[in-house]
Amino acid sequence: MASDDLPLLHTLHCSLQKCFRALQEQHETWKNTLAACTSLLGSLSNLAEQMLASQKVAFANTPLQDFPCLPERLRYRQQCAAEALLEELEGKLLELQKVRDAAGVHVASVFQHCDQQEGLCQERAFQRSVLCPSLADMLEWLLDMEGFYHSIYLEVKLLLLQVTYEDLTKMQTLPQAWEQVLQHSLQNVVEDALLKVSFLEAG
Amino acid sequence: MAGRSLTPKASGLSVSARKIKDNAADWHNLMMKWETLNENGFTSATKIVNIKIATQFKDKLEIKCDEVAADDGRLLPVYNAELEQYCTELLGTFEKMTKIHQKMEKLCSTTKGICDLEKYNHGNHRTPLFHTWPTPYFYEASVKLLEMYSKELKLKETIVQEMAHTSDQDLSMVYLSSWLYQPYVEQSSKVLLESMLLETGHRPL
Repeated sequence: MASDDLPLLHTLHCSLQKCFRALQEQHETWKNTLAACTSLLGSLSNLAEQMLASQKVAFANTPLQDFPCLPERLRYRQQCAAEALLEELEGKLLELQKVRDAAGVHVASVFQHCDQQEGLCQERAFQRSVLCPSLADMLEWLLDMEGFYHSIYLEVKLLLLQVTYEDLTKMQTLPQAWEQVLQHSLQNVVEDALLKVSFLEAG
Repeated sequence: MAGRSLTPKASGLSVSARKIKDNAADWHNLMMKWETLNENGFTSATKIVNIKIATQFKDKLEIKCDEVAADDGRLLPVYNAELEQYCTELLGTFEKMTKIHQKMEKLCSTTKGICDLEKYNHGNHRTPLFHTWPTPYFYEASVKLLEMYSKELKLKETIVQEMAHTSDQDLSMVYLSSWLYQPYVEQSSKVLLESMLLETGHRPL
């Protein structure tokens, strides 16, 4: 096996290290954004509960009967609050999209770097040791991570697209639907991969 | 109120103008205090509703148990000290809001007084005290604001009175939601307040 490609391998390792470090930072943003979504969706669900209750109550038979236009006024204020929450969620979705795109750019740059290293022996790419995973392994993890952001982003987007304050029952069950997204997000290829390459940092 | 004065010839303001300017600042402070009280009240109200729901659930459970076991008097409603505590809290908040409303009424009547005085001194042709508003605008804005808060206070009074006495969960939810979102304090109240602050120079143009 050629040993003159060792410097090439080293530069690739450096570029991988840089990429993993960048992805780690992005992943912190990703996690914080998901957590923020959890609380926003909780509020939205509470609001849906309030709106449903307001629809069920016959105001004319309650002590609130003498208040002019109360149901309409209340509904208007509740809808304003729901719209504000939805707008905030849109902002969060945009943040997730940014993480997804940034991850894509980082991964693409590593692959581009690999493509440029023509002198790298193919066998070397599959060589792994106790201390270091093979280049192929790490590239695969990068693709997995990129794919993960894509799929979870789409799941979140789909969930939010279905939210409308006209379908209150569905809005009320948002936290449960969100929990499922989070479950998928927990089977987390990103954190696994970052853990696997953490020694690269130390080394 | 924070913020430096930007009124033209601030030092040379007439007594009426100074009073109107102070009133605008007072409106701002009272509305801020009202919002804080509204949040405090909402916290107490939520606790009341939660206790009500929990006790209803417990009562239902006990009734079921009693259907099986012999009745030993557990069906008597239990005095709930916690519930009373939060009701007192809510009532306290409501009383503070009533006081704020009284101050708003006073603001409105002093503004009316200033308008009358200006009219007496200068007739209907008085130049604006600040930038563009004729003096009666301040009174009109105050009246509109006061109207909103009066209706809201009435609604809150009903909520305070009824909240702990309903067993209908949906109605409880409506009380809570109405307390929080204050349907009678319209969003235009913010525009009115900000316009007053802008006109009197509390906010930079």
